[in-house]
Amino acid sequence: MEPAVMLRAVRKTFGKTTAVESMTLEIPRGGLYGFIGPSGAGKTTCIRMIMSILFPDSGTLSVLGHASALEAKDRIGYLPEERGVYRKMKVGAFLTYMARLKGVSAADAETRVPGLLEAVGLPGTATKRCDDMSKGMLQRVQFVAAIVHQPELIILDEPFTGLDPLSVRLLRELIVAEHRRGATILFSTHVMSNAEEICEHIVMIHQGRKVLDEPMAGLRRQFDAHTILFEPLVLDADPAPIRALGGVEHVEKTGDGYRIALSPAADPASVMRAIVAAIPPARIELARLRLEDVFIRIVTGGGGTGTAAHALRAGLRMPDTEGTLV
Amino acid sequence: MRKVGLIASREFVAAITNKGFVIGLLLMPVMIAMIAIAVPRMMRGRTTPLRGQIAVIDVTGLVLADLRTSMTPEAFARRRVENTNRALAAAPPAVRDAAASRGEAVERTAGPLPELRLVERPAHADVQHEKAWLTEEDAAARHMALVVVHPDAVVPAAGATTYGAYDLYVASNLEDQVEDLVFDSVREALVTARIRARHLDRGEVDSLMRVARGPSVTVTKENERPTNRNFNRVLPFAFAGLLLFAILIGGQTLLTQTVEEKSSRVIEVLLSAVSPIELMAGKILGQMAVSGLVLSLYVGMGLALLTSFALLGLVDLSLLVYLVLFFLIAYLVYAAIFGAIGAAVNEMREAQALMTPVMLVLMTPWLFASAIVADPNGTFSTALSLIPPVNTFAMMVRLSTTTPPPSWQVGLSVVIGIASAYVTIWFAAKIFKVGLLMHGKAPDFATLIRWAKAA
Repeated sequence: MEPAVMLRAVRKTFGKTTAVESMTLEIPRGGLYGFIGPSGAGKTTCIRMIMSILFPDSGTLSVLGHASALEAKDRIGYLPEERGVYRKMKVGAFLTYMARLKGVSAADAETRVPGLLEAVGLPGTATKRCDDMSKGMLQRVQFVAAIVHQPELIILDEPFTGLDPLSVRLLRELIVAEHRRGATILFSTHVMSNAEEICEHIVMIHQGRKVLDEPMAGLRRQFDAHTILFEPLVLDADPAPIRALGGVEHVEKTGDGYRIALSPAADPASVMRAIVAAIPPARIELARLRLEDVFIRIVTGGGGTGTAAHALRAGLRMPDTEGTLV
Repeated sequence: MRKVGLIASREFVAAITNKGFVIGLLLMPVMIAMIAIAVPRMMRGRTTPLRGQIAVIDVTGLVLADLRTSMTPEAFARRRVENTNRALAAAPPAVRDAAASRGEAVERTAGPLPELRLVERPAHADVQHEKAWLTEEDAAARHMALVVVHPDAVVPAAGATTYGAYDLYVASNLEDQVEDLVFDSVREALVTARIRARHLDRGEVDSLMRVARGPSVTVTKENERPTNRNFNRVLPFAFAGLLLFAILIGGQTLLTQTVEEKSSRVIEVLLSAVSPIELMAGKILGQMAVSGLVLSLYVGMGLALLTSFALLGLVDLSLLVYLVLFFLIAYLVYAAIFGAIGAAVNEMREAQALMTPVMLVLMTPWLFASAIVADPNGTFSTALSLIPPVNTFAMMVRLSTTTPPPSWQVGLSVVIGIASAYVTIWFAAKIFKVGLLMHGKAPDFATLIRWAKAA
């Protein structure tokens, strides 16, 4: 079966700015893909090109087997980054309207909408005006608008922006539920912890270029094993013997212990044995994968230190604009 | 097409359930009522009578006696009734009947009778000296005018066949009305004095002079009906007004709803379901239904009024077919422009700058309507009815005059109209496509053209 989404050497410029460059990407049917990168990396431009809202300067793309999403609009659910509702319309009427625009029959739309509103925790709000809903509630209404026609492909652009932690959790569950129904899902986020939790596959994009395209499982194997978190039994133990060990690239003091970065060639198991032999441990473990670290490592080409890395981290977190639940 | 229909019906419902729409709908009848009722009342002369003095130097010594009777309030009242009757004689019978039943109202509308006092100066008074009287301040009675009767005003000079008249000197800041009153009074006095000087009979001369204006009957293949000049004069304005108002009400709603969709960010949600062209088509068709509804309501009201006054026969009903045709063409042209502007801007405030030139163009035919009615088949009228985008209005005005244009010109105007609608929609669609997702700086016309080139 042809992939749900396919981009081949896609390029898009706005005036003198290159928003997306040599983008090649393939999302198989039934995939759950996270599209991550800092704000301004080109995620929304990519998504808009997939949706045929923008058109690439060069390169080709196909969506659900068609050359343009326009030919498959009714099979795609889309939650844009810039999203809104008709403020004066009632919630139920708005969702029915959207469903009908997506090819759902009037009768089906009428029966489907109340159930979906209940599923997103907004039972009985169909007769309320959109004006009277809070921002978080409207986000959920908009999510319903994106899935009301049971699409094969769901594209969500920054779906977690502006949500409180509880709503973030609810939305993640809803995304997973849609994936379980069989939908292919692509969502973008600049807060990587959201992607870590649910994604099967990660595509990282930086300054318009794809810098990583890996399954989560592979990422864990590839990157997990290269950072050791170590807490010595004696707090003021001298870390010099660790620095001297073969395979250790970088040692960073973190609160009660150390964060030890290994060189790609090092064998974590033997390094751990050597550390324990040198300094008695209170705790020693392999660090859990953080996409943020992976991203910064790829982009800076090193261990993720320095001011450039610091600025990148700031752009990837932005706790004020996006709630995270860890 | 199904999606276009869905969008159109949502637009239509959203528009007609809006409070602003209902207010707008009532606005035109209210404006017409205001023009018909309030304006004459505001224009009704004065609430206090004109008071002042008119000095007269009569070297003939033959006119003063008659002036004394022709410048009395009774004489003013009599002449006013005569003038009104003369004006009414040209009005349609229904209006005449209505006016006759309210003679008093006509009287009231004209304001109170003037109180002009005749100041008789000696026959050989010095004119230069008397002129100074006009500039004298007199709190008790205004010095309004000085009438100097010519020596040959009553009896022609020896060997001449024409009569003299009078010289008039007036104070500054004098009401125009006074000159008319003085003329009417002096004219009456002079005529009476001349008739007496020739030893003629006044009654006989009056009846010799009187010719009743014969009724004019318009003859058509189907029937004969009384010619109605006033109605014929109003009709082109009524059609132009209907066209203008219907387009404005739909076009404005189209603009505001598009701006609202953009500013509330619902636009990209919609674009995931429909293409920009489907969206634009749906919106234009939806608002066309709104405009069409308004148009048919007003036309229906107008026809009902005409029927109740038994004047329906005065309207050539084929004009209604042209009205619908030109409405469709003109609406498409302007709706495309309004839609494109709505898609290009971020908020209504920014739309104003782009709207001003459009509104000016929209109003042009309305400003020139009188000129077109005056000479419907002149070069100016013909040119205007062939130049888009004003051609539709101008042709509608020409068609509704008493001398409609040749049919090849109507056909040409329709073809030009359709072509201009096609070009406008094509251009607007490009701006619409690009503009919908543009946020930020308010665009100017140069930006719009750049977008159209890029799309």
